[in-house]
Amino acid sequence: MSWGFAIWAATLAFAAAVMAVTRASAVHALLLLLASLLALGVAFFAMAANFAGVIQLLIYAGAVVAVFVFVVMTVDAGEAAMAREREMLRSAWRWPALFVGLSVIPILFGIGGGPMGEGAPAGADTRELGLLLFGDWGVATELVALMLIAGMIGVRHLGRNLGPRLRERGRE
Amino acid sequence: MLAYFLLLVPLPPLGGFLLLALDPYRLERRAVMAVALAAGIAPLVLFLPVALAYFAGTIGDTIAPAFTLNFGQFEIALAMQLDALSAIAALTVTVVATCVMIYAADYMASARVADLRRFFALMNLFLAGMLSVVMAADSIVFFLGWELMGLCSFFLISYNMNSPRAFAAGQKAFVMTRIADAALLAGLLLLFLEATSVRIADLIPAGLAAPEQRAVVIAVLLLIGALGKSAQLPFQTWLPTAMAGPTPVSALLHSATMVAAGAILLIRFAPLIEAHPGVAAATAIAGVSTAVFGALCAVAQTDIKRLLAYSSISQIGFMLLAVGMGAPGVAMAHFVVHALFKSLLFMAAGVLSHASGGTTEIRRLRGSAYAAPISFATYVVGAAALAGFPILSAGWWSKEAVLGAAVMAGPFGQFLWLVALGTAALTGVYAYRPVWSALRSPVEPLPAVKDNWLAVGPLIFLAAASVLGSFLVGPIVRLMGDTVPHAGLGIEVMGALAAIAGLIGSVVVSFSPVWSARIKRARRLRAGMQMDAIYYAFLVRPYRRVVHKLSGRNARKGNGPEANNDKTDGGMGDPVGTATVNLGLWLARVVTAPFVPDRFDVVTMRSTREVRRAGVWARRLQTGRLRTYVMAFALGLGVLVILGWGMTWG
Amino acid sequence: MTPLNILLVLSAGLFMAGLFGVAARRTILMQLISLEVMLSGPALGFIAVGAYHGSVEGTGMFLMVLGLAAAEVALGLAIYLHMRRATGGDSDAAHRLRG
Repeated sequence: MSWGFAIWAATLAFAAAVMAVTRASAVHALLLLLASLLALGVAFFAMAANFAGVIQLLIYAGAVVAVFVFVVMTVDAGEAAMAREREMLRSAWRWPALFVGLSVIPILFGIGGGPMGEGAPAGADTRELGLLLFGDWGVATELVALMLIAGMIGVRHLGRNLGPRLRERGRE
Repeated sequence: MLAYFLLLVPLPPLGGFLLLALDPYRLERRAVMAVALAAGIAPLVLFLPVALAYFAGTIGDTIAPAFTLNFGQFEIALAMQLDALSAIAALTVTVVATCVMIYAADYMASARVADLRRFFALMNLFLAGMLSVVMAADSIVFFLGWELMGLCSFFLISYNMNSPRAFAAGQKAFVMTRIADAALLAGLLLLFLEATSVRIADLIPAGLAAPEQRAVVIAVLLLIGALGKSAQLPFQTWLPTAMAGPTPVSALLHSATMVAAGAILLIRFAPLIEAHPGVAAATAIAGVSTAVFGALCAVAQTDIKRLLAYSSISQIGFMLLAVGMGAPGVAMAHFVVHALFKSLLFMAAGVLSHASGGTTEIRRLRGSAYAAPISFATYVVGAAALAGFPILSAGWWSKEAVLGAAVMAGPFGQFLWLVALGTAALTGVYAYRPVWSALRSPVEPLPAVKDNWLAVGPLIFLAAASVLGSFLVGPIVRLMGDTVPHAGLGIEVMGALAAIAGLIGSVVVSFSPVWSARIKRARRLRAGMQMDAIYYAFLVRPYRRVVHKLSGRNARKGNGPEANNDKTDGGMGDPVGTATVNLGLWLARVVTAPFVPDRFDVVTMRSTREVRRAGVWARRLQTGRLRTYVMAFALGLGVLVILGWGMTWG
Repeated sequence: MTPLNILLVLSAGLFMAGLFGVAARRTILMQLISLEVMLSGPALGFIAVGAYHGSVEGTGMFLMVLGLAAAEVALGLAIYLHMRRATGGDSDAAHRLRG
């Protein structure tokens, strides 16, 4: 694979992401997010990061989006709600756009600094990755694991009364 | 491999402490005993092979690093070490502690389970502290263990919580040793600044290389620390009252650990002491004067435990004399021998006093020799070692070595030798007194005590060690890198004669009515020369007065319930704590009070209002909305990126 | 500009698109989607730099980001479901921290 293909895929991902964050409908936004994540996965494959690509497709584009889908299924997607969403975005987009735009110019023009040699993307060995994660970066990996456990406990705590509430809502 | 074995040695007692002190479940009496004994004996099991390998020369000096930190030029390295001193001392401590723990299992058998847990937890913690002191390779572990012992000694001495006397004794021990510990801490920190390392191996050369004045200050501070822990003059007052604790506590505190830690400190840092003749002389003088003082007071005691307590500080005085005379190896030998026979004496005295009905008065011991013959025999062996019975007892050999070292140290040493010789004779006088008393036929026949092997076993072992220890003195001195002093036959004969004179003296004192009446009358001596009262009059009372004066105004001003019960809480505020408040009040009166009706006040108030208004305005930033904060984040990010761009332009 | 530069610009672009989304959208669900976009930006950057230098550490960092994203999504969606009844999923309604 090549850099060019990676850049093309990443550009697609960027475009899909920009569209995703500006959609009024949550379903559309989620589909665009999925497109963006899939395109990123393709970009990873293009950069010979096969393991990262597979993980991207399985976890990000698979599991994470699936979780979103479950939640989006409960969302009110009527015409009135979409109109409200559009109105909210219309009234609020200026200042964020300005502030975010502040960093665009320096990044566009400032990043092309030093001379960097050309070269094909180099693949990484998955065995090395395992040695890295459970060797030198053992502590960081442990911390991520701890964070996931904290997340799990938090979800369990927040969700302990959700069932009855959702049923109530359905009856309304 | 072996290095890490060293780190394990103090851990079992520490674990025992944690288990006994923190385990929330009710432990059975047997479980408590088992944990305590296992934790108390494990160090010996762990350390014995290491020590034997060291003595056999299989392994050399080792340092086991536990933890290392570097701060610039400073190096903080916690470690344990194995060298001649730590091998000998740790082996002695573990042996004695094992004996004491086994004995304590019998002695404390009738205590409540909760008390038992508390007792053994603290004993184990205490043991861990002492082991870390003797095995420390750096000043931090050393000081930690040192302080741990101080803390545990407080709790153990006040073990009997219902008795105000025991509590006061613990408090006294704590405060007196604390004063000296402050000096020790200062000394160790100064050494650390000289050496930029906490390794003892680095501290000593750095202390030797330090400029004269600073080195003297360091040596003196270390000496004060040792004097306080070892209850030497002028800190000796805490030890006799510390007898309020149970007998195993005394046996552990006053033989191999606590008080001996001062001697260990001085032996460890002996090069620093010896480098300055003045400090060395001060050490020797402190040692000899304590030896004489302790012996004199011991002669006058009527209580066997107090007698032994004074004998402890007297014997440690001999160790200090040896260090002051430049023979730390000899001091080490005396430390080992003393630890063996002193723990033996305390434990045998405990059995004897049990046999005679629970009293520790010497007079009442009558007939206990017939009630507990084995314990009595071991006591006799211990007393002979204490008195330095010629040739047969280990005490004679080590004391001879100390005296020889003094004689060979020049005219000054010979003067000290004379004093020490007199002390040795006095030692004999008091050492045998309980023996004669116990031998007298009882007023009414005492019931024979059934010997429990838990109690008698350690006694017999230690008695054997007190005799066979004779063969250890030479090797220990040589292992420490010293030579055994041989001051000539005449000097040695004089030492033997002194011991025999002591034996005769004790017979006279015990059986001659004139002399025993004199002993009875010697109240001043019995009360340790009333040093307590002198300290109270010259140090404590003036201090209390100053405190009263400093806090007097507040006490009178106070209203509410506290003002009325001045008497119950002593009527003293904390002068240091109230100093800042008083200063603030004084400043308010002097500086701001004149301005109050003035414009100054108005200006101040206006600026306050402005601050308040600014606060109200600033609150508007806090909308509580996530989006606002994210926008602020984006703004900050943009500014940072632009700044970074600007700085790397071109 | 080298390919790496372009990829890094794109990764910054992804990040800022997400940042814009979090700041501009009021619905918690949309903010969460934007957060996902935000996190995928650095992920792309890590992979690109790792591939450029032939180092495995880029992929390692990507996995760290992945763990973060997973925990964040789970918690965020739980909070969303929890708050939706009270506020209709509007993050502006949750402003008890207001000074």
